[in-house]
Amino acid sequence: MRAVLNTGRNVPQGVAVEHKGSPDYRAAVSVCHMNPVDLMELGSNEGGHVALMSRAGSVVLTTRVAEGMNRGEVFVPLGPYANRIISAETHATGMPDFKGEPVDVVPTDEPVMTIGELMESIGGVWYDH
Amino acid sequence: MIIKDVVCPFCGCLCDDLDVEVDGQTIIKVQNGCTLAEAALTGNNRLPAPIRRTATGWEEISFDDAIRETADILLAADRPLLYGWSSTHGEAQSIGVHIAELLGAVIDNTSTVCHGPSILAIQEVGHPGCTLGQVKNRADVVVYWGCNPTEAHPRHMSRYTTFATGFFVPEAQKDRTVIVVDTRRTESAEIADEFIQIERGRDYEVLAALRAIVRGKGSILPREIAGIAREQLFRVAEICMKAKFGAIFFGLGLTMSSGKYKNVRNAIELTDELNRHTKFTISPLRGHGNVYGSNEVFTWITGYPYAVDFARGIAFYNPGETTAVDILRRGECDAALIVASDPGAHFPHAAAAHLAKIPTILIDPHRTATTPLCRLQMPCTMAGIDAEGTAYRMDGVPIRYKKFLESSYPDDADILKRIHDRIREVQGS
Amino acid sequence: MTELLVKNACVIDPLNKILMEIMDIPVRDGRIVESVSAGADVIDARGCLTLPGGIDSHSHVCGTKVNFGRYMSPEDMRAGRTARRGKMHVTSGYYVPTTYGNSYRYSAMGYTTVLEGAMAPLEARHTHEEFTATPHQDMLANTLFDGNWAIMEAVRAKDIKKAAAIVAWTLSAVKGYSIKLTNPGGTEAWGWGQDLSSIHDMVPNFNVTPAEIITTMIAANELLGLPHSVHLHCNNLGKPGNYRTTLQTFDLVPDTNNGRQTLYATHVQFHAYGGTTWRDISSKADDIARAVNAKPQIVMDMGQIMFGRTMTMTADGPMEFNLYCLHHNKWSNHDVELETGSGIIPVLYSKKSLVNCVMWAIGLELALLTKNPYQCLLETDNPNGAPFVKYPEIIGLLMSKRYRDEECATLNGGTEQRTALSALDREMDWNEIAIMTRAGQAKALGIDAQGKGHFRTGAEADIAIYPIRCRDVDPTTEYRKVIEGFQKTMYTIKRGRVVARDGDVIVEGANSTFWVNPVVPDDLNVASDPEFVKKFEEYYTVRMGNYPVQDVYLPRGKCIRTEAAL
Repeated sequence: MRAVLNTGRNVPQGVAVEHKGSPDYRAAVSVCHMNPVDLMELGSNEGGHVALMSRAGSVVLTTRVAEGMNRGEVFVPLGPYANRIISAETHATGMPDFKGEPVDVVPTDEPVMTIGELMESIGGVWYDH
Repeated sequence: MIIKDVVCPFCGCLCDDLDVEVDGQTIIKVQNGCTLAEAALTGNNRLPAPIRRTATGWEEISFDDAIRETADILLAADRPLLYGWSSTHGEAQSIGVHIAELLGAVIDNTSTVCHGPSILAIQEVGHPGCTLGQVKNRADVVVYWGCNPTEAHPRHMSRYTTFATGFFVPEAQKDRTVIVVDTRRTESAEIADEFIQIERGRDYEVLAALRAIVRGKGSILPREIAGIAREQLFRVAEICMKAKFGAIFFGLGLTMSSGKYKNVRNAIELTDELNRHTKFTISPLRGHGNVYGSNEVFTWITGYPYAVDFARGIAFYNPGETTAVDILRRGECDAALIVASDPGAHFPHAAAAHLAKIPTILIDPHRTATTPLCRLQMPCTMAGIDAEGTAYRMDGVPIRYKKFLESSYPDDADILKRIHDRIREVQGS
Repeated sequence: MTELLVKNACVIDPLNKILMEIMDIPVRDGRIVESVSAGADVIDARGCLTLPGGIDSHSHVCGTKVNFGRYMSPEDMRAGRTARRGKMHVTSGYYVPTTYGNSYRYSAMGYTTVLEGAMAPLEARHTHEEFTATPHQDMLANTLFDGNWAIMEAVRAKDIKKAAAIVAWTLSAVKGYSIKLTNPGGTEAWGWGQDLSSIHDMVPNFNVTPAEIITTMIAANELLGLPHSVHLHCNNLGKPGNYRTTLQTFDLVPDTNNGRQTLYATHVQFHAYGGTTWRDISSKADDIARAVNAKPQIVMDMGQIMFGRTMTMTADGPMEFNLYCLHHNKWSNHDVELETGSGIIPVLYSKKSLVNCVMWAIGLELALLTKNPYQCLLETDNPNGAPFVKYPEIIGLLMSKRYRDEECATLNGGTEQRTALSALDREMDWNEIAIMTRAGQAKALGIDAQGKGHFRTGAEADIAIYPIRCRDVDPTTEYRKVIEGFQKTMYTIKRGRVVARDGDVIVEGANSTFWVNPVVPDDLNVASDPEFVKKFEEYYTVRMGNYPVQDVYLPRGKCIRTEAAL
């Protein structure tokens, strides 16, 4: 399904934002909030995985129902998962298109990466102490 | 021991009425704060010692070595980028600017991916605003546009707007009309008296429509604008024009959607128009606790609030060219110093990936998503917890962070000072 | 111990009645002394004009609204930028320079002390941070009380002691120097988008008038024994016909202080308009000057405008909004809860505009018509009238009728009918200029007692040596030399240390901030008044414990204690 991506802050993301290595953070930001009818039409259930694909990349997220969400829109909290599919193009404003990016939403069985895997995929080396 | 009137460093609200109970060096309880405050103050994810990346993993190193290596990396670079700054105090921010000046580097702060567009709009049309206490004491109409304070600034409504009693607004919510404009029915929308559900990316048109109504040209409006019936817009414009004191707060819904600074500009110009009828103010809901502080400090030293490039020897400002995401996207910087922010998590991945390709140094108390991308990280104190210093609230009011814990971590201002002095020493000035 | 001997200085020290005497100035450890040893460093002033360091008694250089002005004006930042050089940091800005920009440019002109024109107590911390970043001038802060709720309640209750108590607590909490009133009562009315049009109008909801606020605060100021008088930006700034408001205000002022004025009226040019609209605006400088000449209890400053672009920024929110309605330029506003307001908008003063030409003439008329130069000081309300770098040009105009005539010939043709300037022959002399740029400010601000503005033994060794040989220059004709001479000192010495040489700052600064701690009896300590505390905690949005400016913000603060006459 084609959708428009919205990203932003929410409480679970904010609570966990200083613990980026924690399961709470991953649980908060690797989520795709969807309208329940959209989810149903996708043939998926809450908790199932979807792949979001944009011009900038793709990422696998866990779905969650959001009653207030509009049809044709998805919300992913600010964070490294959302940023897999946000382009670094800023149209000379310095600000990327964090809201309004068109995405394809496809159900998938692929796993959701850990933060460590995410960062390693862009060249990082995970640190565990 | 209970420490009263602690200043929460997390978001731009800078609530300064927290009571924190400590036992020795442990925080036991936080009173009066919101869930974000609680999490920020009681978390324990601090990096114990400086670490450096090796061929095989990570090793701990001393602060002395880390500082020397940092200075060496920055001195060797042609175009270093100094980014972040929003979660630390002004004293550290100030030294950061001076380091950038010495190096001929680019220095940018998190406004660049948050309210930078608001600043661009202000630079075009100005900012008719006020301190939060003016809103608390006078506002009978409050508008939240493109933001969700319930989630991102949880106490904004209870300390400063909807639920706060004020001198001229003794019954708080009863005396106030709250208007929320958003693309979806958020929790903030649930408590609104008027909720305008707007089609995504069409704030500019709706703002223009409201301006037309306020100017007496409402008759030109079509039946529906961006999914909104014009009757609702007439009603809302009427509420605004009949207000005794209206306050508009806006957030990333305007700055991040297409149009970016043009959306904010239109909102400011609407506020200007409303000022011809009654008293109206507009203010951005700043995200990080001390991001406004970094704007203030950068400005009084360099003249510009973010995205400052010293490569030419003068202070040079050109958002789109000198902004961090663009510099990283173009692969233009060959070293980076990240302080008190997490671009690894909050920048588009193509920009964040460049940090892994160049020598990146991170000064941050926590393990963050930038940690894996850096070459070297130094932990430091947390401003507002074990370091004191100056912070600027979202409305420009300066408040001093309290230090209520002792720690063995160095203050990031001290770390930066040592880096600064080492650079000066090598440069021979 | 460091010793310095400035030799062959042609000194004008009006407070010591020294007029163009060639003399030596011995300095030890930052102060003027009787003599120094043979080992002292020597500077040869070569017979050049040597004055005490310049003092600016009203300039907007540090704080919230100034910084607003900066970050909303990237185009101005580009206009005045300099690269890092030697000890000097990068600077930006032409009419709203960065703090280092301000500091270096003032230093180049020989200025060593500046009073920040307006500081809102709630945001004092910001002002003090910028003071530290203006490192070559000692700083003082005019503290705003014009819309202060607790003060207005005390005024309504006719309780001068209470007003004094609130001033005392506030000044010592925020480390301010003096009482500033900007459009008193009007800034509170602006909290509702309104303004006041007369000093007898009632402030909505508080039911006090500007006249009552002014008289109560003057009484409180004198009761506390503050070194400076009340510093007033009159109501109705900028409105045609406002000279009446100014004269009515002057009539309120008693003569209750033997040592100095009882009211400092600032940027009076903006308050000296006759006429009724922009169409028939005219100069009423002669009425104003006549009043001041008859009232030794009033000192004013010119508020001179100079042609060109600049930025207006004042606590007078409603006035700034009116400018926005007139010019449609980018406009910023910042009302401060329970205290005051502010507005910022760029302007262009143009010779094509008759109104602007009248304004330009008025400032000069005020200076030329005021008999005693101690009563009319040289200021532009920087940057509202013009950036302070224009002061030397103003000196040139005051000293040379010829220069004035040449300028007048380029103005809008209607100017002559509306103003008296072309009929004024007076040419200020060197001594009068010295008074208008330092001695007068020192006396008016009450910092002569702190060793500023003169070369008496024990004074701070703030010395400006200008490349001007007074006896070889005729200022009435060679005004270009006068202007160039005042633009750049040969030496600017601060506390006995050479800080600037031929326009370049050569050391890092270590300025001091002067502030006042007015001591009052315990029963007048508002911090122990439950009513005051209750209202503070209820209506402000910061806690009372977090409000005061901590000592750390004034690394070299100089506290002046005063005893209240209670």
